[in-house]
Amino acid sequence: MTYDRNHVVLSVRDLSVTYQAERGRVRAASHVSFDLHAGETLALIGESGCGKTTLNLALIRQLPKTARTSGDGVIYTYRDGRQADILKFSDREMRRYLWSECSMVFQGALNSLNPIIRVSDMVYDTAKAHGIGRDEAHKRALRLLEQVRLDPARVMRSYPHELSGGMRQRVLLAVSLLLRPQIVIMDEPTTAVDILTQRSILDVLKQLREELNFSVIFISHDLAVAAEIADTVATMYAGEIVEIGPVNEVFYRSRHAYTLSLLNAAPRLSAGAETLESIPGKPPDLIDPPSGCKFHERCAFAREVCSQTPPPLITYDDEHQASCYETERVLAQSEVTRKVAAP
Amino acid sequence: MSAIPADPPHATKAHADAAPTLGQRLRRITRSYLFRVLLSGLITIWAVTTFTFVLIRQMPGNPVDIKIDQMMQTQNLTYEEALRAAATLFNFDPDRPILLQYTDFWSDLLRGDLGASITRTGVSVSSIILRYLPWTLFCVGLSLLVSFSLGILIGLAMGYWRGSWFDNLMTTIASILSGLPDYIIGLLIIVIFGVQLRWFDIGSVRGGVDPTIEAGFTLEYIGSIISFATMPVLIYVLSTIGTWILSMKSSTLSTLGEDYIAVAKARGLSEQRILMGYIGRNAMLPLITRLAISVGLVVSGTVIIEEMFQYPGLGRNLFIAIAGRDYTTMQGIFLVITIAVVFSNIFADFVIGWLDPRVRVADGETAQ
Repeated sequence: MTYDRNHVVLSVRDLSVTYQAERGRVRAASHVSFDLHAGETLALIGESGCGKTTLNLALIRQLPKTARTSGDGVIYTYRDGRQADILKFSDREMRRYLWSECSMVFQGALNSLNPIIRVSDMVYDTAKAHGIGRDEAHKRALRLLEQVRLDPARVMRSYPHELSGGMRQRVLLAVSLLLRPQIVIMDEPTTAVDILTQRSILDVLKQLREELNFSVIFISHDLAVAAEIADTVATMYAGEIVEIGPVNEVFYRSRHAYTLSLLNAAPRLSAGAETLESIPGKPPDLIDPPSGCKFHERCAFAREVCSQTPPPLITYDDEHQASCYETERVLAQSEVTRKVAAP
Repeated sequence: MSAIPADPPHATKAHADAAPTLGQRLRRITRSYLFRVLLSGLITIWAVTTFTFVLIRQMPGNPVDIKIDQMMQTQNLTYEEALRAAATLFNFDPDRPILLQYTDFWSDLLRGDLGASITRTGVSVSSIILRYLPWTLFCVGLSLLVSFSLGILIGLAMGYWRGSWFDNLMTTIASILSGLPDYIIGLLIIVIFGVQLRWFDIGSVRGGVDPTIEAGFTLEYIGSIISFATMPVLIYVLSTIGTWILSMKSSTLSTLGEDYIAVAKARGLSEQRILMGYIGRNAMLPLITRLAISVGLVVSGTVIIEEMFQYPGLGRNLFIAIAGRDYTTMQGIFLVITIAVVFSNIFADFVIGWLDPRVRVADGETAQ
C-alpha cells in the first residue's frame, strides 16, 4: 500500500500525557512525535500498559478528567488545506471534529453499541449530531454495511444483541466511516474475535482503505496483524515511541533492542519450532521510571551509558528512527535472526 | 437392516402443514408467555389469600373479644354483659371451624362477593374498598409519580456530574431522607412549619376534602382535594425520594463506565442525547422492577401518613380493620393489594421488554 508522503494529515508534536495518582504523577505518554500521512496506516505496537490507548485517547481528547495533556500541538490538516491544533479546540469545535474528521473503532465491540437502540438509530444519532439528514445517513449506512459484507437492511433493523461479535465489529467499522473521516483510529479491533472473524475484518478493512483512502492509526499487540496491515510501525515503550519506520525496516532491520525482544517473543508462522524468548522483568513504573533508557533494566544489550542518559531519537536511512545506543548490534542480530527464520 | 421404526420425513411435514388441531391450538395457548404469566399470577393470588386468611386468624383475639374488651373499658360493663351485647352486635361466630370459614369465603369470593364487614354492621367490604380506594390511588399514586420521576432525574444528574457540589449536597440530603421514617418527617413538618412557623393551619389539613364544599366536578371541589392532598404527598415524596435518588445515582455511575458511552462521546453526540438516550434509559432499567413493587403497594396506601392526616384512604381503613380484628375487611383489602402487586409486576415485565430489547419475550410475542 502506497501513500502520499508529502501530504501530512496529522502531525503530533511532543505530546505528553500525565495522570495524577495518589502516589504521584503517572507519565503515561511522554514526548511523542510522529506524522500521519494521507492514506497511511500506522501501527502502534507494544506491551499492555505502554501508553498506546492513552496516546489515542489523547488524539481525540477523550481522556478521563484526571489526565493532563501537554505538548507543542496536534496539528490536523483539513481536506481544504486549513490547519488547526486540536489541543486548542473548544468543546464545540472538538465535537464537530470528532467522527467527521477522526473516528475511532474501540476495542471490545461487544460493549461498544448501546444495547437498547437499533443499529439504524445509532446511525441517525451520529448523523444528526453532525448535521446530516436521515435519508442521506440511511443511504450511506446501507452502502457501508454492504461494503463490510453484512446484510444492510437486516442489520439496520437489528439490536446489538441480535448480532454476533464479528458482525458488531463490522458495524462499528461501517459506522466509523459514516461521516467520511480522514483518520480512523482502531484500538485492537481484532482482539476479542476469533481467528476467522479477524481474517474477514482485516480483509474488509484493507478493501475499504483502498476504496475510501483514509488514514489509520492501528493499535495492536498482535505483531502479525500489524505486519500485514501497516505501512509504518511505531514501537512504544513506557509511554515513548522508541522506534518508528516503514514496516519492513522495523520488522526486518530492527534498530531498537525492545523491538527486537518483542519480535523474538512472538511466534512466526514462517519459522519452524524455534524457541520463543520472553522479555525478562516487567514494564517499568511510570510514576518513578528508570533513569536513562527506560528499557535498560530488561535489555540484553545494555551498557553503562544506557542507565545514565536517555538515548536520543536518531533518524537512519529511509525515515527509520530509533532511540538506542546499541542500534548497530541490535541491527546485526536482527538481520541474523530474520535470515535464520526465513525458509 | 435397521430395526428402529422411524417416521417417514414426508409424514411429519404433511402433519405440520395441516390446519392446527384443537390439541395443537391448546398447546400453543398454554405455551404462550401471557398464559404462563397469568397462570402463575393466579396461583400467587390464591396462595397469598390463603396464607393471609389463616394468619389473620392466628392473631391474638377475635372481633368479639376485642369488642368485649372495648365495651368493658369504655362502658364499665361486666364480662357477661359485654359478651351478650357484642354477640348481638356482630354477625360472626368465632367458634365456627376455620375450614368451613375458608370454604364460605371462597364460595362468596367466586361469586364476586367479599362479604360484609364484621365490625361495621351492614356495610359490605366491597363498598368500603370502592369508597376509599380512589382517595388512596390519587394521593399515593401522585406521590409515587412525583417521587420516582424527580428521584430519577436528580439521581441521573448527580451521577453524570459526580463530585460536583450538587452531587455532594444531594447525596447528603438523600441519605438523610432515606434514613428517616415517614412519621418522623411528617411530625417534623407539622411541628416546624405548622406549629412553629405557622405556614399552614394544622387543623385544616386533616381529612380528604373540605366537607362544606359540595361534591362535584367544580373547580372549588377539585382544588380542595388537591390542597388536602398536598401534605400527605409532600411527606410521602420526602420519605421515599432518597432511595430513588441513591439507586439511580449508583445505576448511572455503573452505566457511565460502559464502553458504548465512550463511543457515543467519541461520535460527537450532543450531551443531551448522551444523557437521555444512552445513560438515562440504560440506568433506569434496574429500577423498573422496584417501581413495579411500589406501584402494586400504592393501593395499600401509607397507613401512618393517612392516619396522621385522617386521610380517607384504604391504608387507614386497613389499620382500623386490623385493630378491630375485622377479618373480612382485612381479607378484602389484602386481596386487592395482592392483585395489584401481581399485575403491576406482570405489567413491569412488559415495560422492561419495551425499554430493553434484550429481555423481549421470544416466540414473536413482543411487549409492544
